[in-house]
Amino acid sequence: MSKRIVFILVLSIFAFKAQADMQSIDDEALSSVTGQAGVYLSGEIAINEEGGPLENSYFGACDDPSKVCGARLSFQTQQDGGWFVLDNIKGSISFEGLTFQVRNISSGFGGDGALFNRDVMEIGLPESIRMNDFQYTLATGSSERPTDASYQQVDFMTVEMSGDLTLQGNLLVFPTP
Amino acid sequence: MCDFMKRIIGKQIVLLCLVSLSANAELMSLSDNDLSEVDGAGIGLVMDDFAFSHGHSPSEDKIFRITGIKDSSGEDVVINVNQLYIARAGSNYGTNIQGVNLGRLTNPYEIDLLNGDDIGLPGEAVLELSAPKKVALAEGYDCLDVNAVQGSGTCSSRPASASWVNGERPDMGLELEITAGAQGPKNLNFNVQSAVFDGSYLRLWGDENQNKMAAEFRLNFYTPQLEISTCSQVNQGCTSSIKMQDFQLELALGNTFQPLYIGVDNLTGGLTLEISKITHEYINNISQASGASDGSVQGNEAYAFFEDFYTNSAYRSNISVGNLDISGTSLGSSKVEGILIQYMDVKFRDLP
Repeated sequence: MSKRIVFILVLSIFAFKAQADMQSIDDEALSSVTGQAGVYLSGEIAINEEGGPLENSYFGACDDPSKVCGARLSFQTQQDGGWFVLDNIKGSISFEGLTFQVRNISSGFGGDGALFNRDVMEIGLPESIRMNDFQYTLATGSSERPTDASYQQVDFMTVEMSGDLTLQGNLLVFPTP
Repeated sequence: MCDFMKRIIGKQIVLLCLVSLSANAELMSLSDNDLSEVDGAGIGLVMDDFAFSHGHSPSEDKIFRITGIKDSSGEDVVINVNQLYIARAGSNYGTNIQGVNLGRLTNPYEIDLLNGDDIGLPGEAVLELSAPKKVALAEGYDCLDVNAVQGSGTCSSRPASASWVNGERPDMGLELEITAGAQGPKNLNFNVQSAVFDGSYLRLWGDENQNKMAAEFRLNFYTPQLEISTCSQVNQGCTSSIKMQDFQLELALGNTFQPLYIGVDNLTGGLTLEISKITHEYINNISQASGASDGSVQGNEAYAFFEDFYTNSAYRSNISVGNLDISGTSLGSSKVEGILIQYMDVKFRDLP
């Protein structure tokens, strides 16, 4: 029995020691870290293409025109107020060539590169991006859920997008003073 | 698994739970006051060689459509977005899409957490999303001139030039084909050349008294030409257009003591925009007839407050057009300056 207690205590001490060894890294130390390579991503994000898991008076199957089958996001900016709604989100976005890497910039950018002379996180936008029957509705609602009693929703517009997009460029992310 | 190991693992789990409970107990919520003391580095964002374009073109298997809108007679309105684009200046209505930079490495778009104590919001933590900041005249560029050189203005973003082909001033366009009910389609296009947003920002914070999200929004928008036309998609340069040359918009919505509240009505579900009327805790120490202080310390404080409110240009909006050209006929320049919003209460609702 005593051996077991000692074993447990030793494990616990290791746990605490590991915690004590954790140290914060400041911006300067982080700036000296250089990654070996970047990340190249391809993929497809599909949202409720075939409908969601809910079936009630508001949500249902996509082949039922009287029901909404897409995903729904609502948020509130005041206590006891109404809700902003991103409704009926569905479709898919496929992309190829989304990249993440650390890049040192010390030249270019119309002369700004030499003045900047630092590392940035570079997010390379995909070489190709295609939307397939992607759509969403911008709306506002009187309460959180469309199934609430006396619920009122004001739809502003529905945006539908399909096909290949022309998109290029890199998003550079870096800390500012 | 042997009995010994089971007991050891079981006791380890209990111990780990105790450790995690202890860690949990050390987590403390941060109040707005605590957060307002946080003055961390912001995040700079620059789009390098950026271009975007998409448009409705069934023959190319492309759909870009806006629906769910009704006209005044209740007819469904379908809007095909012929093109939405952001590209390098000189895009010729979005027909020549090349990369442009948005923001400068030395003056980027930023996401920042501000200390409210520094901007007239004591004890508040303020989230700021901002475009490149305006700079001193010696360092800046004229906000409208597509050939501006350093020292000619207060904008940081530079126009495209032979030595810096990308520039930081994009062309932008939204070209629509609108069909209402059984009527034939009509075109409506908005094209902007070499646009600048320097000095724009959105500040958000929580108003503890109103329990609402409060905002201060400043939109600066400068372009050598804003064109609104009814031209067809293939003939964007037609003469059926309104051209606003040297267009400048400096819009101020809300400020630190008169915030903009953006919300939704909890009965009708309609969007609400509200700016409370301007007031001061010692307003009763000012004469309503003459506007003069009653001579007390409180009255003088209130008087100084309102004097600043009515004379400070930072709270005012301006719109200026260098030349208004309608279908080739020049109507000259026009300006609306010094617009001061004292009270605003806008409620949207669905028509039956």
